Amino acid sequence: MRRPSILVIALTAALAAALPAAFAGAAADPGVSSKTILIGGTSPLTGPAAAYASVARGAKAYFDSVNAKGGIAKRTIDYRIVDDAYNPAQTVQVVRRLVEQDKVFAVFNTLGTEANLAIREYLNQGKVPQLFAASGATTWGRDAATYPWTIGFQPSYAAEGFVYGQYIAKTQKKAKVGVLFQNDDYGKDLLANLKRGLGRSGSKVIAAQPYEVTSADVGSQIAKLKASGANVLCIFATPTFAIQAYVFANRLKWRPLVFNNAVSGTSNTMTLASEGGKNKTVEGTISTTSLKDPLDARWKNDPGMKLYRATLAKYAKGANANDANHVYGMAVAYETVNLLKRLGANPTRDGLMKAARSITSAGNPFLLPGISVRTGSGDNFPLQQGQLQRWTKGKWVPIGGLWSSKRN
Amino acid sequence: MTPRTQRIIGFVAFAGFVVLVALLPAFINDFKAREYAYVGIYLIALLGLNILTGYTGQISLGHGAFMAIGGYTTAILMAGNEQFGGPISGGVKDVWTLPIAGLVAGAVGLLFGLPALRLSGLYLALATFAIAVAMPSTVKRFEEFTGGGQGIQLFGTPELTGSISNVEILGRSLTPNDWMYYLAWSIALVLFAVAWLVLRGRTGRAFRAVRDSEVAAVSSGISLARYKTLAFGISAAYAGVAGGLFAIASAFVNPDTFPVALSIYLLVGVVVGGLGGLSGLVFGAVFIQFLPLWAQGQDLGSLLPGRIVEETQKPGGPAIVYGVVLILLMFVLPNGVAGLFRRIGQLISGRRYPRPE
Repeated sequence: MRRPSILVIALTAALAAALPAAFAGAAADPGVSSKTILIGGTSPLTGPAAAYASVARGAKAYFDSVNAKGGIAKRTIDYRIVDDAYNPAQTVQVVRRLVEQDKVFAVFNTLGTEANLAIREYLNQGKVPQLFAASGATTWGRDAATYPWTIGFQPSYAAEGFVYGQYIAKTQKKAKVGVLFQNDDYGKDLLANLKRGLGRSGSKVIAAQPYEVTSADVGSQIAKLKASGANVLCIFATPTFAIQAYVFANRLKWRPLVFNNAVSGTSNTMTLASEGGKNKTVEGTISTTSLKDPLDARWKNDPGMKLYRATLAKYAKGANANDANHVYGMAVAYETVNLLKRLGANPTRDGLMKAARSITSAGNPFLLPGISVRTGSGDNFPLQQGQLQRWTKGKWVPIGGLWSSKRN
Repeated sequence: MTPRTQRIIGFVAFAGFVVLVALLPAFINDFKAREYAYVGIYLIALLGLNILTGYTGQISLGHGAFMAIGGYTTAILMAGNEQFGGPISGGVKDVWTLPIAGLVAGAVGLLFGLPALRLSGLYLALATFAIAVAMPSTVKRFEEFTGGGQGIQLFGTPELTGSISNVEILGRSLTPNDWMYYLAWSIALVLFAVAWLVLRGRTGRAFRAVRDSEVAAVSSGISLARYKTLAFGISAAYAGVAGGLFAIASAFVNPDTFPVALSIYLLVGVVVGGLGGLSGLVFGAVFIQFLPLWAQGQDLGSLLPGRIVEETQKPGGPAIVYGVVLILLMFVLPNGVAGLFRRIGQLISGRRYPRPE
């Protein structure tokens, strides 16, 4: 072996060590300077869930539009997005980097249940806000006393499951419900609360089939659910598996009344599942949403959606405006801007969490009309309203009024 | 240069490197120490993989799985479980789990080495790839120990040294990040020396003989079965220790912590560092740890033209930059960084051809 090489290592390693620039920490609360507020979060820019990257992109576009109009209290919002490839170990590393090196004011809009779970303990011990975690797990709101520095945003999976259960109990007589669910917290949350919503009505869950995220398809699960004699099918699955469920059910010529969870309920996904209108199982599907659907003709002249399209076109060039994940990003960014405005000239981390625990915001232009974002007096779920909708001839049609799971 | 002077230079250089590693935290900000700790961790895994792939010629696309075995061994022991019984049911201090993580992964490696004897080249690569693919589902099967998809959270537990407060050791007070750095690098340097000792002697010659020609090796009296399984065992043990350290540094494990892509990154790291050499591996480790960040326009990446940095913020952007850098690197350094060192060595000594090993 060549020994002189180690000398070269030593020199080059010293060079490599000296290169990365060290950030100087601010004297006041981290991340706040006289000109900017620095926030940061992870998003899967690469890897299996890269499609969700549009959430962060939509949010960034909105912040940039606010910055262009002068920002908040003379400060612009610098939103740093870091890739975690949907790998929680990577999330831990880059969030530490955001907190300890970049010194962000708050960790914001980090995507994924597991990713947020992985960093929650660390952020809470370090008293760093974990603002608007992008996951519907119930724990964000339920365990606010244990983790005061963490708050979620979207309606919880528990609330969603409950709403489907109640709807079935109200509209169906002695329905036999079959459930396809992802074998993790998210799927189990939906299933348990579906049962709670059914209550003591004549309708019952007669079969529930789990699938693993790593599995290839859900064909056998759908066949078993059909064989169980169910006449209602609940799909608690992410988009790929939800589409498969529709395709397999249609091949078996099974036409139950379908409930599809919100994470797979975007018009994009439904259009794919309908196989150009050939798939008859899709028709009549019931789902829920809180966002305005970019494909819905009702919002063609809506000021909120006009703002959405203009902002996306200007600050996220090349982004597909039909992707509803951008709408989610803007909705959450809108609420963040409201919070930061309330903090005034001297924002603190403590003040941010206090503000996040006492939100009363109505008229978010990216949410459905009538939906408000509220927290306070023990309620730690910001968004708890939605609209049931039925897939009719290639588009969503609302059913009844808004539902709400507010308990106060 | 005679081999003797070469050896002396080698020792001096290694000593210099140790001093550099020891002093580095004084020159970088506290947080960077944690990222360099990960470099040390990847170095351990690369040392192991290079013993198997670089020296013995057996390709492994499954080393992420051996890291997973080590990582879960550490995490499960730290978390404790009443079913274990005895003193360990309440949880084991992080440092003590590392030798066990190495032994468990090493044992699995030895076992895997047996069927691997019948496979060679691409078929072996596929078989090892299969373990990497199967690992996440296997982990979920044993939910009561592994925590299933949610994984095991270690941050803030008493078993983890230095979650948030400083670590007092040898009369000094280290920040949690510096502690992690020194822990990872002291183990990495010891294992570096061990790997060097193993490879320079009889065993190392046997490994190289197996790599260069199995037929020739057998006819010189080398037992293929013995040395191939041995290489698998040592290599997996290194990966296991690296996995254990990875779990401690992340204070969290779940099935996605050790994805299939990790196995591929490790192989990329070995190729970048240089197959069949130890000195370049540090760069392979730096590459694995920092390139994904550079590809997003951070640190060194911020020196890229603004137009490219903008692209890296888009979905899929970092992957493209990563790929382009990798291709360029393979054009410029076809034999990895170790190959570059060899060239420089040849220029200095004036030899046109390397001395036979």
